Amino acid sequence: MSNTETETKTESDGSDSLITTDVQAEQNDRSAPSTRTAVAARNLNVYYGDEQAIKDVTMDIPEKRVTALIGPSGCGKSTFLRTINRMNDMIDICRVEGDVEFGGKNVYDPDVDPVALRRKIGMVFQKPNPFPKSIRDNVAYGLKIQGFDSDVDARVEESLKGAALYEEVKDQLDSSGLELSGGQQQRLCIARAIAPDPEVILMDEPTSALDPVAASKIEDLIDDLAEEYTVIIVTHNMQQAARISDRTAVFLTGGELVEYDDTAKIFEDPEEQRVEDYITGKFG
Amino acid sequence: MTDSTESPDLTRRNGFTRIKEGTYGGLFAVCAIVTLLTTVAIFATLLYDAVVFFSEVPVVEFLTSTEWSPNPAGGGQTFGIVPLLIGTVTVTVMAAFIALPIGTLTAIYLSEYATPNARSILKPLLEILAGIPTVVYGYFALVYVTPALKATLFPEMSTFNALSASLMIGIMTIPMVSSISEDAMSAVPDSLRQAGYGLGATKFEVSTGIVVPASISGIASSYILAVSRAVGETMIVVVAMGAQARMPAVREAVFGIPYVNPADVLLDSGMTITVAMVQIAGGDLVGGTLPYDSMFALGLALFVVTLVMNVLSDIIAERYREEY
Amino acid sequence: MATDTPSEAGFGEVSRVRGIVFEYLSLGASVAGLLALGILLVYVAVDAFDLANASPEWLLTYFLTLVVPYLGFCLYSVGDPTVTRRAVAALGGGLVAVAGLFVGIETFVSPIPRLNWPVAYLFVVVIPLTAYLTYVGNQGRVGAVGLGLIGRAVGGAAVGLAVGTLFLVFDQFVWFLAYTFGVFPAVALYVYARRSPSSRAATAAPVVGVVGILLAVFARETISTYPSDLLIFLWTIAIPVAVVGERLVTARGGRTAGLLAGGVPLALAVAGGFLAGTVGLPGPDILVVVALVGTAVAVYLQRVIEDGEGLAGLALPVLLVAGPLVGALVVGAWGVPAPDPWLDVGFLTEAPSRNAVEAGLYPAIVGSVIIIAIVAVLSFALGVGTAVFLEEYTAETGLVGTLTRILQINIANLAAIPSVVYGLLGLGLFANLLGLGFGTALTVSLTLSLLILPITIVSAQEAIRSVPDEFRRGSDAMGATRWQTTKNVVLPEAMPGILTGTILALGRAIGETAPLIMVGAATTVFSAPNSLFSKFSAMPMQIYAWADFPQPEFRYGVVAAGVMTLLVVLIGMNGTAILLRNRAERGS
Repeated sequence: MSNTETETKTESDGSDSLITTDVQAEQNDRSAPSTRTAVAARNLNVYYGDEQAIKDVTMDIPEKRVTALIGPSGCGKSTFLRTINRMNDMIDICRVEGDVEFGGKNVYDPDVDPVALRRKIGMVFQKPNPFPKSIRDNVAYGLKIQGFDSDVDARVEESLKGAALYEEVKDQLDSSGLELSGGQQQRLCIARAIAPDPEVILMDEPTSALDPVAASKIEDLIDDLAEEYTVIIVTHNMQQAARISDRTAVFLTGGELVEYDDTAKIFEDPEEQRVEDYITGKFG
Repeated sequence: MTDSTESPDLTRRNGFTRIKEGTYGGLFAVCAIVTLLTTVAIFATLLYDAVVFFSEVPVVEFLTSTEWSPNPAGGGQTFGIVPLLIGTVTVTVMAAFIALPIGTLTAIYLSEYATPNARSILKPLLEILAGIPTVVYGYFALVYVTPALKATLFPEMSTFNALSASLMIGIMTIPMVSSISEDAMSAVPDSLRQAGYGLGATKFEVSTGIVVPASISGIASSYILAVSRAVGETMIVVVAMGAQARMPAVREAVFGIPYVNPADVLLDSGMTITVAMVQIAGGDLVGGTLPYDSMFALGLALFVVTLVMNVLSDIIAERYREEY
Repeated sequence: MATDTPSEAGFGEVSRVRGIVFEYLSLGASVAGLLALGILLVYVAVDAFDLANASPEWLLTYFLTLVVPYLGFCLYSVGDPTVTRRAVAALGGGLVAVAGLFVGIETFVSPIPRLNWPVAYLFVVVIPLTAYLTYVGNQGRVGAVGLGLIGRAVGGAAVGLAVGTLFLVFDQFVWFLAYTFGVFPAVALYVYARRSPSSRAATAAPVVGVVGILLAVFARETISTYPSDLLIFLWTIAIPVAVVGERLVTARGGRTAGLLAGGVPLALAVAGGFLAGTVGLPGPDILVVVALVGTAVAVYLQRVIEDGEGLAGLALPVLLVAGPLVGALVVGAWGVPAPDPWLDVGFLTEAPSRNAVEAGLYPAIVGSVIIIAIVAVLSFALGVGTAVFLEEYTAETGLVGTLTRILQINIANLAAIPSVVYGLLGLGLFANLLGLGFGTALTVSLTLSLLILPITIVSAQEAIRSVPDEFRRGSDAMGATRWQTTKNVVLPEAMPGILTGTILALGRAIGETAPLIMVGAATTVFSAPNSLFSKFSAMPMQIYAWADFPQPEFRYGVVAAGVMTLLVVLIGMNGTAILLRNRAERGS
């Protein structure tokens, strides 16, 4: 298995080189402010037992833009991400106060079905987690559980293309998704997330388990995804946030949203001293 | 604030899906409840007939009478559990003599001395000991072990005897002691061993002086489980020990104290609680008779004893889990 | 080291004697039980196969015609001269050592009853060496091919015989109707749905199946004429098996190969079934067995031939059939006295008898097969259901959390209740209260299912727990419901582990005796049962009954043969379970 992995990896390495990080050039087409809000938090507080993980956060996340959540470990940025698609429901001791609005509806309203919610919001995890199934079945998973059974193959192909993976795997759609290299696995997970055509894609440090080359491919891909989807990404890597995001939210310890603005503004001229300290590496 | 024109429908989930989800969840819950019902059913079944039995035979008589003769044909019916208890205790103690030391030593070997290779071979092989059907062990005891012992060590041994049966139960319960004890020993943190070696202790001193004491509650809990298994063991004793409910002969006093010669108990046939049950069941099973009900009284006794032991072993084992 | 007066400047030495004694003591303890069991097993085998009366010439003949070629095959598969050298050294050195030791003990200590040195050599050297070489030979491609082929043939035959046995009790006409009206249309519908785009037919398939089966149960009473058993088995078993074989092979090796792999075994099965019927053998059973064995072998052959590796392994069956034949010829021509084993074909196919020579285990074997089949279904369904509930459907806190903890403690306690008490449950609840009858298959199966349920649940829980959580989170994040996550992600991953645990638990059920006695199962029945409510016996029950007979022919013959049969079945089941586990471990 390790053999195949290295082979496919070297194959794919040739096709792309490290991207240059010309932030301005890439953001030109999306630099105008978005008119619509995809996800909004209103006075959001999240607790794990007695501990407060998110402290009174209010923010509007624009549609079809990349929004990065940065901050030191344990600052609550991942928790915030999981609050949006209610993955925190799985944790018994987790308690949420306040509103998270998605399409104008508070997702914590009692009549909201978290399962229905998650079908509208895709998620990509830190560690690539393809299912132990074929590549085709992995991508078709969301379609299958939602009962789509028309044109499955076409939609699988389209999603793989959307995740910039199709050319690499088109001849091995029936082999296991676990045989791919780490970067390919993560793109497979992205293909899986976009196949049912969600409105928002949440990404929880999607490149932190990957090597730099694979990571840069994912970054390229995120940029493309923002044409069609609202992308919310948690990252440890400030350069990454600077490179790929339109808006950046900085969380600091205690789950407090310290500053939230256009990425360029945050990185060039932050309002808060604490944010500047964090970005320049004096803190965290 | 959100100026989205159409809000996505997050509540819709068609009735069919909802029903399907509920049905599956319900089905699994029912399966789980079956296990609970089993316990209730066991307890109720035992209690129901035992209550009938104890309305005929007073509890005190049941617990103190020294004669067990449930068959109405041979004179009076007497239901005294004492001879059965003597049989059960004899077999259990003898089996424990075999299983506890061998099992403990095996656990020490597996946890402290064996190479990973040797462990990977020995552990599954030991599990075989517990996987052989007990009726086969009984047959071994009756047909091979007893004649061998009779020919060599104990010429006066009878065909059905407690000793061979106990030996087999002992062998059967070795893996129970060894596997749980080994788990407990493996859970002892290496830093404790390092500390011992650092003080200049030999491997022997570390094994017996540090690892064993540190895992003592796990070892104790394995002992209790093994003993409880021996108490409830049926087929080995049924086949190899015979079915004579006897009180051991009390010999003339030595130094003024009357005594029981262990050979009288071990080398002769006897009867355990389980054998008594099987013997009644092996006859004509007619509900509502006193012998029939007495089975349930014996079963209740067995159930309570094994349950108490299991809970006890759980409590003890719980302690060592908290230690590290 | 630096000093030249070690006696004064050295550290001295701490005595290790106690430590070394202790190490060997604990090693001895580890193997003591195994050794004791090993000796007992040798004696049972010697008695069951009457090896005590096997002359050295007889043993030598079969050693040369069967064992040596097989060992040669394994060594060829390993292809490592070092292993070959070691094997030869073990065979030769073992011969000298065992013979010398044996004769030494007999002369100077005491005679060893019912064993001679060739038999001792067989058990101490030949059989362990054969087992070891089988294991290493299987690592090589040739050996894997040969043993895989044998495994499929034996497995196919076992399943075929078990299916035939089940129809002794279950009504083949109901099965015929259920298959025709329920199973067949449902499968057809499902296959159609898989192939055509955008079809809802797949959802309808289970409904059609259930309705058809219910219909069949009602129709059974009104329909009075049925095809012959041979045709029923052909239509409901042989043809579907052949179609599955054809599909499997076509997918890999093309149309011609597929037709051959499906058609040839089917033709052989039909021919065999009809011919067997004309000479008075059970035609339908032979049809089923040939169809299963043939298809399994054909599918495997196609794969081996396509891979093109280790083709020499295909000669193994020839070796294993020819060896005993040649051996028999030599023994016959030479006039060597042969042993008269108790465990022979007659023992497996005849009813018990007071006469030791005629006694057989057949009704008990049938009883065991049927009990195990029912117990397998019940305990699997209940065990997996409970495990899924406990692992996937519960919460840590709240009412459900409390319930979970109670259930978990309860399951641990159930596992510790002696089996004889379960017998009382069966007696009081199933036999008396529910009126399912004393010692009937149904009572026995229900009792044993509950008995092994805790083991099944715990092993299924372990298998489910070993599925990585990231798969679940991934599925949840896609908006899968709990059942969808369980069905699509968790259960497929956990299934090999669940099956392994269930088979091991079934091994426990097949050897249980005490609960059977308690619910009034018959010790001896003289004909195979013909309904779920007829009197049943099972292999361990029959062994228990025979062990009571004082005659030596029973004690050292018939019972030994029964014990051997039971142990072989157990080894087969546990071996299957281990193979399954190893394959799953290799797969992931």
